[in-house]
Amino acid sequence: MAMPQFQVHQPKTLESVLDLLGRHRSSVKLLCGGTDLLIKMRAGAQAPEHLVSLNRVAGLKTISYAGGDGLVIGGAARISQVGKNAEVRRLYPGLAHACSVMATVQIRNMGTVAGNLVNAAPSADTAAPLLAYGASVVAVERGGRRQIKLVDFFTGPGLTVLEPGEMVEAIRVPDVSPRSGSCYLRLSARSKVDIAAVSVAGFLNLDLEGRVIRCRLALGSVGPTPLRCPEAEQILEGQTPDEKLIAQAAAACVRASRPIDDLRATAAYRRAMVQVLAQRVLTQSLDMAKGGTP
Amino acid sequence: MKNPAIIGKSIPRMDAPAKVTGRALYADDLKMPAMLHGKLLRSPLAHALIKRIDVSKAKALPGVKDVITGADIPQVKYGNWRLVPQSQDELALAVDKVRFVGDEVAAVCAIDADTAQHAIDLIEVEYEELPLILSVEEATAEGAGLVHDESKGNVSLVRKIDYGDLEGMFAKADYIREDTFKVHPVQHAYMEPCSCVAHSEEANRVTLWTSTQTPYIVQCLLASTLGLPENNVRVMKVQVGGGFGGKMELRPWEFCASFMAMRTGRPVKFTLTRADELAFGRRRHPMSIYSKVGFTKDGKLLAKDFQVMLDGGAYNAMGPTATFLCGTFGNMLYNYPAYRYFGRHVYTNKPPASAMRGFGAPQAAFVAETQMNMAAEDLGIDPIDIRIINAMQTGDVIPDVATISSCGFKECLEKVREISGWDEKRKNPKQGKGLGIGCFSFISGGVFNWFNTKYNFSAAEVSVYEDGTAQLATMACDIGQGPDTAMRQILAAELGIPIENIRLIAMDTATTPKADLGSWGSRVTLMNGNAVIDAAKKIKEMLIPVLFEEMDLNQIHDIAFEDGRVFVKANPKKGITFGECVYKALRGRRGEPLTARGFYTPRNKGLVSPAFSFGAQIAEVDVDTGTGLIKVEKMYTAHDCGMPINKMAVEGQLEGAIQMGLGYALMENLIMDDKGRTLNTTFLDYKMPTAEDMPPGESADVFTYEPEGPYGAKEAGEGLAIPTAPAITHAVHEATGYRCMETPITPEKVLRALDKIK
Repeated sequence: MAMPQFQVHQPKTLESVLDLLGRHRSSVKLLCGGTDLLIKMRAGAQAPEHLVSLNRVAGLKTISYAGGDGLVIGGAARISQVGKNAEVRRLYPGLAHACSVMATVQIRNMGTVAGNLVNAAPSADTAAPLLAYGASVVAVERGGRRQIKLVDFFTGPGLTVLEPGEMVEAIRVPDVSPRSGSCYLRLSARSKVDIAAVSVAGFLNLDLEGRVIRCRLALGSVGPTPLRCPEAEQILEGQTPDEKLIAQAAAACVRASRPIDDLRATAAYRRAMVQVLAQRVLTQSLDMAKGGTP
Repeated sequence: MKNPAIIGKSIPRMDAPAKVTGRALYADDLKMPAMLHGKLLRSPLAHALIKRIDVSKAKALPGVKDVITGADIPQVKYGNWRLVPQSQDELALAVDKVRFVGDEVAAVCAIDADTAQHAIDLIEVEYEELPLILSVEEATAEGAGLVHDESKGNVSLVRKIDYGDLEGMFAKADYIREDTFKVHPVQHAYMEPCSCVAHSEEANRVTLWTSTQTPYIVQCLLASTLGLPENNVRVMKVQVGGGFGGKMELRPWEFCASFMAMRTGRPVKFTLTRADELAFGRRRHPMSIYSKVGFTKDGKLLAKDFQVMLDGGAYNAMGPTATFLCGTFGNMLYNYPAYRYFGRHVYTNKPPASAMRGFGAPQAAFVAETQMNMAAEDLGIDPIDIRIINAMQTGDVIPDVATISSCGFKECLEKVREISGWDEKRKNPKQGKGLGIGCFSFISGGVFNWFNTKYNFSAAEVSVYEDGTAQLATMACDIGQGPDTAMRQILAAELGIPIENIRLIAMDTATTPKADLGSWGSRVTLMNGNAVIDAAKKIKEMLIPVLFEEMDLNQIHDIAFEDGRVFVKANPKKGITFGECVYKALRGRRGEPLTARGFYTPRNKGLVSPAFSFGAQIAEVDVDTGTGLIKVEKMYTAHDCGMPINKMAVEGQLEGAIQMGLGYALMENLIMDDKGRTLNTTFLDYKMPTAEDMPPGESADVFTYEPEGPYGAKEAGEGLAIPTAPAITHAVHEATGYRCMETPITPEKVLRALDKIK
């Protein structure tokens, strides 16, 4: 396939971005890192006539944290920037880990967390931890804004609830209470520089007696979208977790998964790994929560 | 024997600064005025008749300068095995029939790459699908269709080796085991995808700059397929970004670029993509293997019956050599009193397999080493001890093959046992951890003249100048393995001048001396090294009389060439500078330049190789028994490559070989669907290990002096790619109990063996 012809716009304000998105509605794509988009265009899978770059828009790269309000990741914040952010590393270690091991150094330096979500690959590395932290997406268009819970965001491989003309302005992640623990684990054939064949993210918050107040578990690469595991979360909530209960919750994660056979792993292997990784994620999260520091 | 100081030194590769700063020019960097860009149309089907090709729309597209199909080109088949003309089974563009997904059907050149690609998309081809043959079992089954209609069956070549009393030896054996193995295809994954530029300034003459390991082979085959005298084709140097066996034949794009350059009068460039390489490129042979071995109860090998079917894909490529070498390496390393090999090279509707680092030996060694470990376990003998019991040594004779003129194999086994802490660690096994061993031997270049060259196997031309410098011209190819540096080290040692004073001209079939068979089979150091020494000796013969005359020397004196001087050995003060000596010789020759040619062709060295390397390697692994993931924690290697010329280059070969062997054992695999299409055509899904996966390594030197090698050197390139996979699979067995009989090891296979996945 020969690369199609297209026009690149480099607006400086969010308003002009939204104008351009509205004006070229039928054949426009946002460009930031381009790490997914350009590959699809070269392969002929996408042929937009207009590319609107976010790279000159002021303020979109900001990452901010405020106690009580939580974390806000700007729509153009790079993956490596998020992975290196001190607050993210301290309070959201699962996300920090995802942002420092996914893909390659070059891709992490160019790609954005928002782009990783909008690309909506079932294997998107930031999706599972962000689901586990209960994140939402702030979508904006010329007419206004709306907040979408990440759990409602993905509709299928490469598909989200975003409407034409809409873009992700920011990702909001709730604050983390004391006695919380979280973790993200992924498996791939290569130790680094690889796509995840299976991934599990978990978040636990304990009360003073060590009972689980809140639990969130999320899976990657084992369904058409990144998945939450409500059944597993309910098994743990209100309980004092032990090895047996963790194994039961992990089994519920396996039930939530809908893996397929593909090049990267068989469905049978993926199911077995959801069990193993979920147990490891829960054990590590629990240890961290008990340690008193999130 | 004491070698000059520059031999065996660690010298950074002389091409390295240019390569790391981007100054080095590769084929795709070449841009010429009015240059056209070529693209290929490839078959989407693995086996089909071509009923009709319509190129009219492509030809009509503005910017398109030429469109060719199989009907336009001379119907001269080519292949590297010129000695066996019926093995030459390829045409650059398919005629009547396509035989694998990716078989080249048409070529276009246009003013830019996008236009060329657009034109390719406009070519209409009507196919009639034929039944597919996708395995050696299907190909050799009764009533199987033919991949090549003109051949008798799908077995394109048979190699048999048979010596000793096989049945008698098996009858004497206390322990016999029969096993079947399957090994999978992997790819070279050289950093630089294939690329070439052709230009024809004069009618009927063409120059090709191409990324190749074998300029001479490309020259000869290009000449025969274009219908030109060899001398009308010039193949020239560019930097080559790796080959590993994947760039040692004439390839369709080289033909199409040259053919269309001659037709259009404009330079034509072709550059492949990584996806082209992974989907359609050459690869290491997958094989189906049966092996029966017999031992005494004390672990002495008695006999081996080794039967191999190589899945060659749609064309022979370098498959015949792989078939020969697989048999040759089925009985190397250890003494087999009786041995029988039956190797069959089989056509299937898959992309052709060809040479790849080790050339049939990695597969043979995987089987031999695995069976060795199984026998050791069953006989209650330590795996290293059972190897020492059977190890080859200097002076051993392999019937019909070779006499081993130097062999440090036993020393390698002892050294590797020591540096790895083998005995200690095996006494205290740890959960999920294990040590495994793999050994190897490899050729230092081949003797068998399958290309049927009429020239010497290697040649070098040395010229020396009165400013104290020299020029070395050779057709030998540096494809990243380092001979451009090593050959200059050898010449510097011979002439006693600094290596910086030697200018190199390499890889030009028009100006460098005839000939060189190329960089494959670990042949360059030994063969071209010997040719360089031969030429240097002739130069010295021209210079020595100057000193005798100058100093009025008694004829019993010996002359030394060292430190930029030529002097009397017994009295180093008596001498002149190298440059002065050249100046005086020039005067004496009334202006005739000092140039000499040296050659090498192995003599009285059997049919296989003039010299063999040996080595042993131990892998230490840690298996996560929850996930089945394997971490190779450390590799220990002891390696007999004779006397290394450039120690740093040998270390580089070792590290690269471990990376390749690790990928072969654990990650890399070309995955194909039931239509013969390769599914993993990017590095995202072709899991080549990266620097992050590289284990630390420790190595021990075992120096032997190879009498046939330059300064005692022998091969250090390919052999090292052999032991890593068997060492890792053995280590995984020690760690988990899972014995890999079908490569590669995947985490899932480990967990299934542990009953953790039902």
